[in-house]
Amino acid sequence: MVKRLSDMPEVEAHHLRRIECPTFDDTLALPGKPLSQRRVALISTAGLHRRGDRPFRPGDGSYRVIPAGTPARDLVMSHISVNFDRTGFQQDHNVAFPIDRLRELVEEGVVGSMASMHYSFMGAFPPDAAEPHAQHLAGLLKQDAVDAALLVPV
Amino acid sequence: MREHTEAIRPPRALWVTFELGRPLGIPDDPDFQRRVLRATAELLERTDGPLIADYPEEVAEEADFTGWACPINLTPQATGTLAAEIDRLATWHDQSVARTGRTTVGVSGLDMPAAGALLSAALAGDLPPAQTLKEAVDDLRAYYLEAASAFPDPGTAKKRKAWLWDETVFGKALLDLQPRLAASEHPQHRILGNLTLIPATERYRLAKK
Repeated sequence: MVKRLSDMPEVEAHHLRRIECPTFDDTLALPGKPLSQRRVALISTAGLHRRGDRPFRPGDGSYRVIPAGTPARDLVMSHISVNFDRTGFQQDHNVAFPIDRLRELVEEGVVGSMASMHYSFMGAFPPDAAEPHAQHLAGLLKQDAVDAALLVPV
Repeated sequence: MREHTEAIRPPRALWVTFELGRPLGIPDDPDFQRRVLRATAELLERTDGPLIADYPEEVAEEADFTGWACPINLTPQATGTLAAEIDRLATWHDQSVARTGRTTVGVSGLDMPAAGALLSAALAGDLPPAQTLKEAVDDLRAYYLEAASAFPDPGTAKKRKAWLWDETVFGKALLDLQPRLAASEHPQHRILGNLTLIPATERYRLAKK
């Protein structure tokens, strides 16, 4: 879920153009189970976490855990950027972190099941800062029998 | 960003044109959100990636309410101090929490008067660590915008954000603080002042000062 630089104010687009952005050559869309049999996790980059968890800091490539049963009232956002809308999230967390919508797709049988844990990064970090955390998280997702992750940026 | 996604080449990506910060499109519209999420999840069935699929629906800009005005006079001249303004908004913030059952305030661990006091001290020359100040400011920003969403005629989110910068002591305080941070000897203060205090869309206000 991504937008175009040409839609941005020039000062912001200029900043985003300079962000380190590697190209990966091994990103095949491999076949897997039907969606109705998949166990799905949400991975946000909105800098979300439970109130009381460590806020994100500049350059922070780590993630925070959001258990599936986390009440919406416990979710806060500590993304360092001020260049995206937060009023939507303030009004309805699902517009940035669609946990209730995913639960509904499971109830309807569209998606097989929901992971027990979901995750958020804070999407303003150099790729190297996140890599060890992402590698670790991939192992945890396997332990949770997750076979699909939906990355939801802001 | 479309351009970054094209460079990274993820296996599957859904392209939406919604406002940044609202990847599912429309708050409090479960049907719309479900369609977006379903379109995203259904990409898992495709094996012709790396691919970017265009989502067909767009979101029209929120309807504007002409004549929108803040129901309580919060202009800087009227309220005087940041502390008084924060106090005056408390009842509106309570209304917002009562209506939605939640608040996104609470990153800093400070109550709002304490967050305001921290900002006032920074303006007086006593700069706290950048991270502490950033968390307090972000909590205050959420507090103001949540409070404004509970006004009798809250207008659009765009109007409420303009209100924060045009009409509040808090908005003026952030603009006043920016040059002090930008001139600090500490790199973290300079990052805050130059990048993560004032949104890019509002930085023209610094040039006017």
